[in-house]
Amino acid sequence: MLGASASNDKRAGPVKISIDGLSKTFASGKLTVTALDAFDLRINEGEFICIVGPSGCGKTTLLRILAGLETPTGGEVRIARGDGNRPLSSMVFQESSVFPWMRVRDNVGYGLDLRGIDRGMRDRTVAHFLELAGLARFGDAWPHQLSGGMKQRVSVARAFANDPEILLMDEPFAALDEQTKIILQQELLRLWSETRKTVLFITHSIDEALVLSDRVLVMSGRPGRVRADIRVDFARPRFVHELKADAGFGRLWHEIWRLLDSSGKLV
Amino acid sequence: MSNEVRISAQAAKGPSLFRRLTASHGFMAVASPIVLLLLWEVAAQARLLDPRFFPAPSSVLGELVTLTLSGELPINLGWTVQRVLIGFVCGAVPAILLGLVMGLSPLLNALLRPTIAAIYPIPKIALFPLIMLIFGLGETSKWVIVGIAVFFQVFFSTLAGVVNIEHIYLDVATNFGASRWQAYRTVALPAALPFIFTGCQLGLGMALIVVVVAEQFGTKLGLGFMIWRSWQIFEVRDMFVALIVVALLGYGSQLAMLALERRLVQWKPKSGSQEVKT
Repeated sequence: MLGASASNDKRAGPVKISIDGLSKTFASGKLTVTALDAFDLRINEGEFICIVGPSGCGKTTLLRILAGLETPTGGEVRIARGDGNRPLSSMVFQESSVFPWMRVRDNVGYGLDLRGIDRGMRDRTVAHFLELAGLARFGDAWPHQLSGGMKQRVSVARAFANDPEILLMDEPFAALDEQTKIILQQELLRLWSETRKTVLFITHSIDEALVLSDRVLVMSGRPGRVRADIRVDFARPRFVHELKADAGFGRLWHEIWRLLDSSGKLV
Repeated sequence: MSNEVRISAQAAKGPSLFRRLTASHGFMAVASPIVLLLLWEVAAQARLLDPRFFPAPSSVLGELVTLTLSGELPINLGWTVQRVLIGFVCGAVPAILLGLVMGLSPLLNALLRPTIAAIYPIPKIALFPLIMLIFGLGETSKWVIVGIAVFFQVFFSTLAGVVNIEHIYLDVATNFGASRWQAYRTVALPAALPFIFTGCQLGLGMALIVVVVAEQFGTKLGLGFMIWRSWQIFEVRDMFVALIVVALLGYGSQLAMLALERRLVQWKPKSGSQEVKT
């Protein structure tokens, strides 16, 4: 394994997520696909983890298992619970997953409404995250009135407002143009710095992984395994545009690129 | 400067009145039936049409006023409206509930769909004799037959709406911890609502067709009864009056349904709306 084993790192919090021997096989007719096999991972409390890897390496499957959307075929996931009232995880999905039939405000308040949080508290929380996500003026807008970038802000705000212990992000910015992407990465960092949640973030972009994370996990092709675990030590708060001028950035970028390249299947 | 192409604002002189009127779709939509009625009137007055079958619009209008003032028309209209409304609710409510549940449950879908699909192609009015055997000649059999006609339209539309929900929305509901009931309320129902409204519009149209036929039997009230009676006593003007009112009823109910949809489905993008940039 390349890179430092981060679970031994003194600066990180206690172990939040332990994944041991996790496997997931999809069967459809006679065809079976093994998305994950004997997958192990430790994630510490408050860590921002990015996962990069070729398509079909099971990274989305991993996230969907953590989100409670898939059941594993084997192995186990243990998650250390904090105080009992907070939801375990909230996911920011790949495509636009914002409900078109709810106003922006009600999308952001979705998790709170499901849990029956009292009205005043709910409204204050929603207003707070609308403000943080740069959506203050759009609370009463319908999603169809928003651009793709604005919709993803809603999706991010919805996940943060739900105040989960773990935030799961499945290529949330992949479909956005470069400029919007950088703005949203910066805003995600700002939002995250206020809450310091444990984040698992999937991306195809090495840039994005380096800008956001404390650790980058490079996965190999199907079935997915962790090929390398790379610590990203840039000081926080980070500024996306400055970071890219850093010499260390280029070096890490190149290292990850080589790992992906030698794993054979890129894209 | 012979090779110059100019694109400039429209000349200040406006188009002629005629061109402005023909360009207005609203005006044309109103004007064409009026012209048709005028032609009909002229043809009837000139005896080009047989007044036994096609009485002049003016005489039909006179009959409409008479029947309205005598109270006969409002009473018949009231009965038909009542039958349609009760039958509609009896059909649409179970159709929406069943459509939602079956849409999200593959098991129930596999269990019930073949039966429902097998009954669907039967012309609903062909079931009316059976319905009358079971429920008698009274009001119940009319509600039931209207309900059955409405049910199928609304059910299949609702089912299509739920089955076509993008799966990611249901994933969001699951991930955010929605209970089954919450998933229906916050995702399945609102996502299927435009389809449900389409089904209700089709269902209302079907309800009118069925009720007019059903009112031939076991009642002396209703627009359908008016039509059948005027056939028996050869009073064609009454028949036209009833036909006009049925048509207006159909048109009005569609407008009402559209207005309700516009209130409840505000989130659907209207064509030409603007999006806000990041």
